[in-house]
Amino acid sequence: MTLLVGISAKRGQTRFQMPRFSLSPRIIPPSLIVALVGLPVFAAVLTGLTAGDGATWDHILQNRLIPYTLTTLSVLFITAIVMLGLAVPVAWLITQYDFPGRAVFSWAMILPLAMPGYVMAYAWADLMGVAGPLQSWIRESTGLSARDYWFPNLFSASGLAFVLATTLFPYVYIIARAAFSMQSRASIEAARSLGARPFDLFWRVSLPVALPAILGGLCLALMEAAADYGAADFLGIQTLGVGIIRSWQSFGEPNTAARLALMLILIAGAFLIAARIFQGRRGTQQTSSRWQSQERAKLSPLFGFCASAACSSILLVCFAAPVFRLVWLALENSASAADLAPLIRSTLLLGALGAAMAFASAIIFSLSSKRSAALQVATRLIAAAGYAAPGAVLGLGALYILRETGQALSGSVAIGFLVWIYVSRFTSAGVEPIQASLARLPKNLDLAAQSLGSTGLRQFLRVDLPLIAPGAFAAALILFVEILKELPATLMLRPFGWDTLAVRAHAYATDERLAQATLPSLLIVLAGLAPVLLLSWRLGQTERT
Amino acid sequence: MSSRAPLIAETVSRSFSGNNAVDAVSLTLEPGKITSLIGHSGSGKTTLLRLFAGMERPDSGRILSGSIELSGPKSHVPIERRRIGLVFQDFALFPHLSVRENVGFGLKRLQSDERNACAERWIEKLGLSHRIDAYPHQLSGGEQQRTAIARALAPEPVAILLDEPFSGLDPAMRDQVRDAALEAVRNAGIPSLLVTHDAKEAMVHSDKVAIIDRGKILQTGTPETLYNAPVSELAARALGPVHQIKRSNLPAEWLSQVSGSADAVAYRPEALQVSPGSGFRVIRQRLAGAVSEIEIEGIGGESLFAVCQLGSKIQSGDDVSVGINPALFFDFKE
Repeated sequence: MTLLVGISAKRGQTRFQMPRFSLSPRIIPPSLIVALVGLPVFAAVLTGLTAGDGATWDHILQNRLIPYTLTTLSVLFITAIVMLGLAVPVAWLITQYDFPGRAVFSWAMILPLAMPGYVMAYAWADLMGVAGPLQSWIRESTGLSARDYWFPNLFSASGLAFVLATTLFPYVYIIARAAFSMQSRASIEAARSLGARPFDLFWRVSLPVALPAILGGLCLALMEAAADYGAADFLGIQTLGVGIIRSWQSFGEPNTAARLALMLILIAGAFLIAARIFQGRRGTQQTSSRWQSQERAKLSPLFGFCASAACSSILLVCFAAPVFRLVWLALENSASAADLAPLIRSTLLLGALGAAMAFASAIIFSLSSKRSAALQVATRLIAAAGYAAPGAVLGLGALYILRETGQALSGSVAIGFLVWIYVSRFTSAGVEPIQASLARLPKNLDLAAQSLGSTGLRQFLRVDLPLIAPGAFAAALILFVEILKELPATLMLRPFGWDTLAVRAHAYATDERLAQATLPSLLIVLAGLAPVLLLSWRLGQTERT
Repeated sequence: MSSRAPLIAETVSRSFSGNNAVDAVSLTLEPGKITSLIGHSGSGKTTLLRLFAGMERPDSGRILSGSIELSGPKSHVPIERRRIGLVFQDFALFPHLSVRENVGFGLKRLQSDERNACAERWIEKLGLSHRIDAYPHQLSGGEQQRTAIARALAPEPVAILLDEPFSGLDPAMRDQVRDAALEAVRNAGIPSLLVTHDAKEAMVHSDKVAIIDRGKILQTGTPETLYNAPVSELAARALGPVHQIKRSNLPAEWLSQVSGSADAVAYRPEALQVSPGSGFRVIRQRLAGAVSEIEIEGIGGESLFAVCQLGSKIQSGDDVSVGINPALFFDFKE
């Protein structure tokens, strides 16, 4: 979700003020937050670079670093291909053609974002299992026994890639859809007047123009995929995220964990940098409003049916079937909600606390970067570092800080550290919608307020806050839901008795008690729908204007 | 399809949610001639162009290339098979392709060396050889315009349609680009349609002008005919300023020269020839580009409006004598 905000923020980020370097007490709070956000990343990276003793380097390299890295990269490679294959053709169909259900598919395609990867993995593991509905149906209809036929195995690298791609492809879809619909219709019509058929239009005109944006979106989605822990752990795939936590908790090799974390943050950082490069290369598109509003070409009934069927199957696989299966399992096992109460309580408390802190630091970041150029650079860098750092890496950073400071991981200290990690990881997710709202404000508003005697906090409360309220609300909602879904850092740092819905669902699922994992999973999906629906509503608005 | 065939609209109509954007329009675009279509925004001129191009399907009527039906009640040749070149107001160049690749885009059927040679020929014709490897965002507006025209003409289309092709250009370079561009269009020897809202552009650069208003063609003819013999006040206004005066307020000595019987008479400001003298008084005078517009005190409180050359030294308050060119007085029945 973090990156969705980035997408909608792009439009507004045009304001650039001349840098003003100044030293005043005002830069203290933002500087503290820069330190707060950056420290866990710094701790993890530093340990990764300097960790010496313990297991030998050879062992780490041969048995851990190389295999985990290769697994991660191959999963990401397959994920990338599946995401492109799903997102780009669908975005093309939806922007260029009219077919039954197009308007619904246009926004429904982002629903899979409400599913965290681990929930998708639980649901599909059950659907595809030997005793699951798909295989049972095959056996019943063919009379074969389970050994007589081949069935794809979800507990494999490609299975993990499938799970990650089905939850993350909407990122690529949203960007591809925006890129295709921003293209001037005149250039499509010019190409047609020069004899280009639909196939040519896609390959020779639209795709090359949209490609940098699409690759940028792909890189951000891959960064998110690299940060996954829950799905990979459940499916038993040795990715770096899994390796970090296992090295720390099970193998007792903190140095290995540090090295793996360093590698993971390098990979995630590389995707972030690549995304920024691609986004910078988006060419200038000529658009003209008078040619924009033309109708989409209507597909013939046969092709229209095929397009609808394709979109429906994607939604079925990526959202409807897994959600339906979870509901079914919950009802079938008449899962009791009674033991959920403490989980919900701790989830809400941690979510509210984390969201409030991250929101406050996002507000301070956004406002202070208006004032000081040095801070602007620092906040961007640090926010990006937190954004790119997977939860497992930040959790590890926190554990190192705990170790160095001699604190024990329990009680309020643990909660404090967990909230700290939430702030570090998600502040940037809050900064972007707030900055996007700020960027839309007229330039001289500050000066006008100041000339009327409003400054500082007073100006913020009376002028800035009311005006950025919609962006701020979106930011708060996104932060809350992101924290609620967060798994690896919560898993590493939560104190005893503070299991969240995500932690417990994961524990049940990895214990092969899937039925009990369904209710917490469904609650997470339900919460995840809120920001997704908000986003789809906003995207619908920008499409119409 | 011979490239010498005219492109014909035969009583075509197209409406959008009940509004007749184009209402039973007939218009023939002759090969080798530039036909201008002028009208206000919303008059239906762009819709008519889109109907010719095949981007829209007419509700009724036919579009023909010579005797071949492109759009009709039962048939519709899609845009990609019509071989009609299009030039857009915003040029719509492909941003990811160089000038050479843009111009070669429609030459897919040719071998690559032939395609390049053909593209280069057109690029040279439009004076863009020095920019051949540049990308659209590196080009000036005029260069983009000429690239768009070369791209439209290179595949040897059966007709070319230009939608406000010069209105996006900076006025200082517009004239210069326009001459070269329209010469290339005319030399192609195919029917060409120039959609514009600039009456001067239409009059100077076209062989035939059609005036469209609220989806209907008001008048079609040579620029001279339209300027000198408009069929209605609306048609007259489309090509330049027109003023009205009550017949009863015309000076007595003009009455015999101005034919017709309607109560109101319309005239172009050029109909009045103003010279130093006596009989009339100039109330107001102001500069309007290369000429000055003058308002002359008339009869019954109705002023007369005229233009005269700069340097004629006529000032407000001067006494002048006024002669007339009766051909530029119009008597509209309605």
